[in-house]
Amino acid sequence: MAWDLALWILSFLAVAAALGIIVYQLLCLSDLEFDFINPFDSSSRINRFVLPEFAIQGVLSAIYLIFGYWLMFLLNAPLLYYNIRLYMSKRHLVDVTEIFNQLEPEKKIRFYKLGFYLSLLCIVIYRLVVSSMEVILESGIASMAEI
Amino acid sequence: MAPPAADFPPPQFFARPPLSNPPLDPTPPPPPPQQLYSRPPSSMLSTPPPPIPSKAPPFASPPPFAAPHQFQGLQGPPPSHPPPPPPQAPYFGGSPAYQQQQQQPLPPPSQGYFAGIAPPLPGVAAPPGHDIADEFESLSISSAPGTAADVKVEALPRPPPDSCDTFAQPAWSNCHPRYFELTTNAIPASHSLAARWHLPLGAVIHPLAEAPPEEQVPVVDFGTSGIVRCRRCRTYINPYDKFTDGGKYFRCAICNLLNDVPMDYVCALDEQGKRRDAMDRPELSQGSVDFVAPMEYMVRPPMPPVYFFLIDVSVAAVRSGILQIAADTIKSCLDKLPGYPRTQIGFLTFDSTLHFYSLKSSLTQPQMVVLAQVDDPFLPMPDDLLVNLSESRLVVEALLDSLPSIFANNENVESALGPALEATTSIMSEIGGKLLIFQSTLPSLGVGRLKLRGQEAHVYQTDREPALRVAEDSFYKQMAAKCSKLQIGVNVYAFSEKYTDVASLGTLAKYTGGQVCYYPGFHAAVDGEKLTYDLSRDLTRETAWEAVMRIRCGKGIKYSVFHGHFMLRSSDLLALPAVDCDKAFSVQFALEDTLLTSQLAYFQVALLYTSSSGERRIRVHTAAVPIVQELSVMYKEANIGAVVGVLSRLAVEKSLNDKLENARQYVHVKMVNALREYKNMYAVKHSLIGRIIFPESLKLLPLYVLALSKSLPLRGGFMDATPDERSAAGYQMMTMSRPSLLKLLYPALIRLDEYLLQGSRGGGVDSPPQLPLTAEVLDPRGAFVTSDGQRFVLWLGNVLQPEFVAAILGPQVAHSSDLRKVPVVEQDNDLSKRFHALLAKLRKQNRWCHQQCVVVRQGESGRELQLVHSNMVEDRGAGFPSYMEWMVQIHRQVQQKI
Repeated sequence: MAWDLALWILSFLAVAAALGIIVYQLLCLSDLEFDFINPFDSSSRINRFVLPEFAIQGVLSAIYLIFGYWLMFLLNAPLLYYNIRLYMSKRHLVDVTEIFNQLEPEKKIRFYKLGFYLSLLCIVIYRLVVSSMEVILESGIASMAEI
Repeated sequence: MAPPAADFPPPQFFARPPLSNPPLDPTPPPPPPQQLYSRPPSSMLSTPPPPIPSKAPPFASPPPFAAPHQFQGLQGPPPSHPPPPPPQAPYFGGSPAYQQQQQQPLPPPSQGYFAGIAPPLPGVAAPPGHDIADEFESLSISSAPGTAADVKVEALPRPPPDSCDTFAQPAWSNCHPRYFELTTNAIPASHSLAARWHLPLGAVIHPLAEAPPEEQVPVVDFGTSGIVRCRRCRTYINPYDKFTDGGKYFRCAICNLLNDVPMDYVCALDEQGKRRDAMDRPELSQGSVDFVAPMEYMVRPPMPPVYFFLIDVSVAAVRSGILQIAADTIKSCLDKLPGYPRTQIGFLTFDSTLHFYSLKSSLTQPQMVVLAQVDDPFLPMPDDLLVNLSESRLVVEALLDSLPSIFANNENVESALGPALEATTSIMSEIGGKLLIFQSTLPSLGVGRLKLRGQEAHVYQTDREPALRVAEDSFYKQMAAKCSKLQIGVNVYAFSEKYTDVASLGTLAKYTGGQVCYYPGFHAAVDGEKLTYDLSRDLTRETAWEAVMRIRCGKGIKYSVFHGHFMLRSSDLLALPAVDCDKAFSVQFALEDTLLTSQLAYFQVALLYTSSSGERRIRVHTAAVPIVQELSVMYKEANIGAVVGVLSRLAVEKSLNDKLENARQYVHVKMVNALREYKNMYAVKHSLIGRIIFPESLKLLPLYVLALSKSLPLRGGFMDATPDERSAAGYQMMTMSRPSLLKLLYPALIRLDEYLLQGSRGGGVDSPPQLPLTAEVLDPRGAFVTSDGQRFVLWLGNVLQPEFVAAILGPQVAHSSDLRKVPVVEQDNDLSKRFHALLAKLRKQNRWCHQQCVVVRQGESGRELQLVHSNMVEDRGAGFPSYMEWMVQIHRQVQQKI
């Protein structure tokens, strides 16, 4: 079961990273709203992390699919589909010229993502704990057997 | 029924006493007894006036002018504005007149004093049906479709001649409406009221509009002490700020904060609480001023005017003669470029390669460097590409002289616009300035290359349709953002007969405060004059450089959306690298959650810019409008020009992310809702069966919405206009001022032969009558001219006398069959001279663009349809009904319950 634990640790890190990206992007957007940074900086900072976030989410979904975690994959599938569609229609990057008109929708979608990643994080932590317990118990049992 | 007086705003804003107001008289009449109750002026504004009638009985001794005004409010012609203030007299801006008036006894509100909408005065016997005519315009329409026999087409409302150019007089100390015009001069007091207005609540802003010489905006210099502004909201000092405590403090009109007056700006107040020097200070008496901005308004020294020309020299540009005309025009304008001797100039030409020109003043001939590698352009001799015009004048002239001949035999068909743009922005990155792009073909090389699109009819009516009207490649948006950041304003001149993707190219202008000029199928002999005029105007008109614009609104009101050519730097700051007198914007307002309790809402538009002479300035326009509790007043005070101005921008913007059909529907629904709401106000009181009613102020709304639906950017579908035409017209509509927009939507139609012949017979007709825009009036025996502000179309009837044609167009034209390339030049006869005098007169009203005259003969297939019938907005066309049917249709929709 060690690979199981490794996978959950990996997904924990990935989800935490995605969460960090979303929070950072939200910060950029609200900074823009309150006029702390200009649209050029804000959009370039946001855009720098759009693709990494997509990649993290995509890789995670792929791992779940490959290793047969169907439930986790299904959970991720809608967002994956949304991200791919956005990317295919080239609308994934924030448009610096229209950023003020898109501020509200962009924030909204990031809040949804924030919620999604948070719940995913809870699940991942739970599974992480469960699988680490299993590993510990197993090794415990194994060591007991040695005695 | 009668609301208590305290809840009711005093009505003086609508039924204002005549101009003989106490402060204007040399000897003021004794103050009315109510003066006893006078309070400090500051408290008067923040709180509603005390219910005076309870203390002083209103009927005890009404002031002499109260009664006649009640009457005028009812029966006089509905005044869209109060009478103008005398030129030097601020009426209400903190002036005692304002406060004194508040203390006039309020007439009982139930008497319909308020804007003359409420029931007639008891005792005034109005003839039956008379009151209704005063309250609103109505038009009888039988509700059954197709049986509108009882309405005469002539009875439909049409704009009177010259109505486009005339503005209402500014009220009080407001700025002139040519600078700032609200869609309704009555701001709703609550959300519920605003929601029932249905039309956009907004304004058309034209900060640098051209004014006649006697109405120039005064320049105010505060010297080193700095401009007086509100401490909190940073509003500039304006006529509506109230001075208190002997002039030591002033209360900001926008945010109501009590500010200290700087020591050297203090001035004693007179007995009415007005500054004694108010008349001598434009900022305290006029709605529009130019402040000279001191150092703290600069992030760098004021930039010199910079003009950079990016010219496509591929085979299409050379063959059609664009290069020659552009070079000649630029050369002829060199003396007139603003900002001598600081003006800087530079050139870059491109086909599949980039051509740089060193214009160093020590040279006698310009040095040309060709860069064949366009993928990652670098700048050879980076310091000599942008030079001071006065120093390098001879070299620049030599270049312009030789430019057409250098490329006379160019056979290159490629166009590397993207790399050329990248090179140009790095040349201009130090200073910024104005970039003029002359593009004759579709960009085909390097970054930003575009491909043919919009050629398939089946794309229309699908979700992919709006994509045709926005930039295809994100390169253009990023480049536009970069230009805005570098203070580069881009004007795009597009010429190709074939698809050039104006939608993508125009993006550059859209976010940098520029403009798009489109000359499809440019032909030097025909269109040369227009290009020459437009380009010279572009180069020589007053331009504001590195500008930013901000709008401040009074408490409870907030800007919501801006429309026009600019980029938002922060949520309310419009970045305008270069803006000039031909650019207008529009803004929509939203109410904040708080209920508006004050009586006036204030707006201040401030444009911080560098003038061509190198002075940093702030153009400030201030306006105040009453806040009202009644919907009827909002409709009554509506301003059709501004409503159409905002609606058309909304519709064009809607067409960028939705189908044309939906964009038209969007405007249509707004109009129908507004008219229905208006009908419901009166439906109880009056029998309105078979009649459509509308406020006098909005009687032209259905016509303009119809015209807008048939206008080039929104018209029909695939067949009705090419994507390039649509985009170019859409970009233009986004920047149009109110007069030119109304002219474009409802062009003037004049019968030419009668007018000219009448004149030659001695029966001098000053201005020819305007005809309704329907093909029915086109008499085959006559000649007609339409003028839409962009061009004249001369329509020649089939059986028009050939002598007449020969007289005005020259003998060779009379029988020629192809009128496509006929230049309209003055002939040596009386008729032709009168004809050209008429054209010159019409052109003078419309200086922002040259109206080319094109000739079309009746029955010329294609061209007649495109040039003449597309303008006939009252006829059926482009999937839209005729004006009559349209009114019937609207009537039916208004009647429908929702």
